[in-house]
Amino acid sequence: MRKFLSAKALIGLALVLTVVAVAILAPFFIAPERATQMVMSARLQPPSLAYPLGTDQLGRDLLARVMLGAQTSLMIAVLAVGMSIVLGLPLGIISGYFGGRIDNVLMRIIDALLSFPALLLALTISAVLGPNLQNTIIAIGIAFTPFLARIVRGEALRVVQMPYVEAARAAGTRDVQMILRHILPNIMPALIVQATISLAFAVLAEAALSFLGLGTQPPMASWGLMIQASRQFLDLAPWTALVPGAALAITILGLNLLGDVLRDVLDPRVR
Amino acid sequence: MAYLVNRLMSVALTLFLISIVTFGITNILPGDVAMMIMGTQSNPEALEGLRQSLGLNDPLLVQYGRWIGGMLSGNWGESLLFNEPIAPLIAQKVLASGLIVVMTMMMALAFAIPLGVWAARHRDRWQDTTSSTVALLGLSMPDFFIGIMLILLFAAGLGWLPSSGFVDPAEDFLGAVRHAFMPSLALALGLMAHLTRMTRSAMMGILNQEFIRVARAKGLPERTVVWGYALPNAIGPVMTVAGLQIGYLFGSIIVIESLFSYTGMGWLTYQALLNRDIPLIQSTIFVIAAVVMLVNLAVDLLYRVIDPRIRLG
Amino acid sequence: MLDQTPQQPLVSIENLRVEFDGESGPIVGVKDVSFTVNPGETVCVVGESGSGKSVTSLSLLRLVEFGGGRIVSGRLWFRPGEGEAIDLAQMPAEKMIDLRGDRIGMIFQEPMTALNPVFTIGRQLTDGLRRHRGLPASEADARAIELLREVRLPEPERRLRQYPHELSGGMRQRVVIAMAMACRPQLLIADEPTTALDVTIQAEILGLIKRLKREFGMAVLFITHDMAVVAQLADRVVVMRHGEKVEDGPVERIFADPQADYTKALLASVPKLGEMRGKLAPEPLRIPGAPEPAAQKPASRSETGRAVLSVKGLTTRFPVKGGLLRRVVANVHAVENVSFELGHGETLALVGESGCGKSTTARSILRLVEPTSGDVVMDGQDILGLDAGGLRRARRNMQMVFQDPFASLNPFMRLRKQVAEPILNFDLARGSELDDRIAFLFDRVGLPRDFMRRFPHELSGGQRQRVAIARALSVNPKLIIADEAVSALDVSVQAQVLNLLMELQAEFGLSYLFISHDMAVVERVSHRVGVMYLGRIVEIGSRADIFEDPRHSYTRALLAGVPIADPTKRTLKESIEFKPLPSPVFPVGEARPAPVYEEVAPGHFVLGNE
Repeated sequence: MRKFLSAKALIGLALVLTVVAVAILAPFFIAPERATQMVMSARLQPPSLAYPLGTDQLGRDLLARVMLGAQTSLMIAVLAVGMSIVLGLPLGIISGYFGGRIDNVLMRIIDALLSFPALLLALTISAVLGPNLQNTIIAIGIAFTPFLARIVRGEALRVVQMPYVEAARAAGTRDVQMILRHILPNIMPALIVQATISLAFAVLAEAALSFLGLGTQPPMASWGLMIQASRQFLDLAPWTALVPGAALAITILGLNLLGDVLRDVLDPRVR
Repeated sequence: MAYLVNRLMSVALTLFLISIVTFGITNILPGDVAMMIMGTQSNPEALEGLRQSLGLNDPLLVQYGRWIGGMLSGNWGESLLFNEPIAPLIAQKVLASGLIVVMTMMMALAFAIPLGVWAARHRDRWQDTTSSTVALLGLSMPDFFIGIMLILLFAAGLGWLPSSGFVDPAEDFLGAVRHAFMPSLALALGLMAHLTRMTRSAMMGILNQEFIRVARAKGLPERTVVWGYALPNAIGPVMTVAGLQIGYLFGSIIVIESLFSYTGMGWLTYQALLNRDIPLIQSTIFVIAAVVMLVNLAVDLLYRVIDPRIRLG
Repeated sequence: MLDQTPQQPLVSIENLRVEFDGESGPIVGVKDVSFTVNPGETVCVVGESGSGKSVTSLSLLRLVEFGGGRIVSGRLWFRPGEGEAIDLAQMPAEKMIDLRGDRIGMIFQEPMTALNPVFTIGRQLTDGLRRHRGLPASEADARAIELLREVRLPEPERRLRQYPHELSGGMRQRVVIAMAMACRPQLLIADEPTTALDVTIQAEILGLIKRLKREFGMAVLFITHDMAVVAQLADRVVVMRHGEKVEDGPVERIFADPQADYTKALLASVPKLGEMRGKLAPEPLRIPGAPEPAAQKPASRSETGRAVLSVKGLTTRFPVKGGLLRRVVANVHAVENVSFELGHGETLALVGESGCGKSTTARSILRLVEPTSGDVVMDGQDILGLDAGGLRRARRNMQMVFQDPFASLNPFMRLRKQVAEPILNFDLARGSELDDRIAFLFDRVGLPRDFMRRFPHELSGGQRQRVAIARALSVNPKLIIADEAVSALDVSVQAQVLNLLMELQAEFGLSYLFISHDMAVVERVSHRVGVMYLGRIVEIGSRADIFEDPRHSYTRALLAGVPIADPTKRTLKESIEFKPLPSPVFPVGEARPAPVYEEVAPGHFVLGNE
């Protein structure tokens, strides 16, 4: 298992770092025009030396678009998950640490929100606000919040019962210090694991939203949009679907692997 | 009995909160139903007249009261997009999606449980590595991408299955299954991956328990220990997770039904969202959330029937 | 006990070596262990955690393979029936399962998890019989009822249809023993079967094992960490440490004349019930190699004339919710009208079995749980009447040391910070003064100063408990509540920590409220003792009162159940019958009569009304 674990860690890290590097470095390596430039004479070209991953129905270079898509995808995922942490972490800690009536009310609401599938919630919010880049982030961020709050609450509940918290209380530690010194550091491992897995889900959600036309809008380079556009030419040019699909799968796989490894290493319940 | 009553009251409260969330989300919209009906370029006076007649100028609380009153009395209003009463429309689509959900669950569980048990039993060996790798790959493939691959393979390539459409199972059951097969498979792969991992970890926890050592010390063969002794303990947790995944499934079903033009609940929701058909949006997302909650209630109750420790008293 | 004629041993373990896969190469669990078990003999394998005693027993059934272990070399001779000895180490796995549960039965430590929660007792009792004996269902059921009678479980017919969660821990362990006995094994392996049980139930189970062994003439291989249990049960003893055999021999010889230094130290670390008879003050344990500890002072309540802590009528109840709308339908009466006083520099022990309310009493005094009613006066201050700020300040005077050394320190905080936290909370010292104070505390509890920069996971259990003590000491409290503070430690470490606590008391004049289930430890450390049962103190008095002149029937039962670490004083009774524990759950509004105590001697009170 150790070997498998370290192999997992290596592959996961390599995949995620590759995607991150591509996202950050994309503008330095390829001219952004290449991704938007429509070459009518080069529509739906199979992979070749000129176009290593082929071209789409408008003759745009798929390599350039898939690289810029990484940027879109990661940016949205990181900001959305960040937003869900900013909203969900305080809610979860307040609920789990103070308990009682506040906890009851908050968890009722969270439970009701959790009955809405996250993707449905994101789609609805995005549709209602009007689909664009910013609203996609808001939609995914809000949709993930109840789930995150729930996880944080569970962890806070677990930590609050630990003898070291009781010992600190007996030693006169105030609530704010208690949360900062004892609760927060001890829910961090679970939070990091959850954030990593949430990133994978956020990448997926962004792709799904864009695929359905309720996320980012053309001409932005987004993997979901690329797959959507490829549907009409599937028989003629399957690579137009395969390229962004593979990019998605690699990113999500990398994040999932990383999440798994982090869980094995960090999560106190598994350790 | 007391448990059941408490549980039903809690369900009622959650349904109420769900209705508030539903109503709330659809009312943060800039613009309103009147504009949607008449278009953005319409005459402001006519628009105001329509608002008045639709009651859109009333306080939100009054509007909510009218809406929830209609929902409770079965009058769900008319879809702006389809110009049809919403309730019968949804009833018909729910059945279509039900077929997909059931097929997906069956496919996923049929593979996930044996695979998860197999991995747990051969922990840290090649069997475990294989199963974990397959599960991780399944988990990482976006379902709509799997759907596209399936279309490429079965419809475009082999021509075995129809790539889109819906057939009413009451009229042609085999046809219905054929049409539902690819969407279900696309949904099932990710779910199966998830449930495999859950089964594995549940089984691993159970196989470490003392009663498993006791069973071995009694001289029971390993097959009996794993399948007969450990697995019954894992069914409950796996079932609970499967129930929770129903929610995830109802999210993915929107994408998959749209991809396969399978006219079920997901497709209907998508059409409503795409066309900002507010009355239809309200009804569809309310129904989906309610169904998700009720499925979880059912799983919970079933769990209580199965598990002797918390058997309904 | 043993036949004088030379006998073929039933089990002969020769040069056993077991390895586990580790991160960097194999880890040796057991190396080169040899001993024998004769028919009808009880052999106790004793050792502290990590000694390899469990691994040895699991190897004999070849169950060690399921935990990632490997029998690398050595022979495990076993003589089934009248036949020739066979080597279990070389036995094919599919033949091994025929032996398990048939010729060799095994029982384990955790009765609460040893039964499959989703099957009935009947099914679990009979499946071994059906497998090995091929009995039809009706015959298997009849045999199962017979087995439950043998282990003295009341209403055996009803038990067969029950599920494990409907039975108490003691009842479950009886079922587990019945399961192991089902096929009349020649050898019963018992791996710490009473460690998780209360002392009176432990006495029941040990008595039961002894009787079954005699009636059916089987051999018993008994694994334990508890020297007192060994003294009561063993014919012969094997002492293990770090995966190796230290020494073995007849039980009388091991106790009277131990050869190995380790055995000597182990025996010296074990408090023996009754050895404090006639002594006025607590006395540290004498550990060979350690410096002679200082003598303790007798109780000194008379010196100051005022109690440090005074508890009157303390009652703590927990609501049980249920029924419609989850109303409170009943109350758990965890602590019921408890009163006592604790003097300056005095140790009051609260003893009792699990669920008797001793820990809840401690937590109620600190208001870590809110008591329902009563008075707690600490150093003249009414604790229960304080607001949040006042309570925070008052807690400076009373600190707590918890049971689990692995959970009572924040895993993400350096040790220095953990010890400094209480001081900073009350702003008692800053800068170099703080540094000096922490350095002093680390020195005082016997931890090297470079431990300050470490994290808890780098320490052993005993070291962590020292950090917890330093943390409690940091604010100069008057009272320290030690809640099972040494229960999770190995005996040799336990002795060191107990000695440290006693030294600190002598040095700083601390008062201890010492919560424990271990009568022998309590006898060693306390000035006065309160015995708790079902939330109430049934008897309270000086140590001598309680241990030398117990009056209440429960105190007597408790003392009778304690195994004594002396093989010449065997008190184990084979005939102890099963006694169900009454429930502490009462209907709402149920008022239990106020306790009436009879003062049988000055300061010695016994509960008169039940």
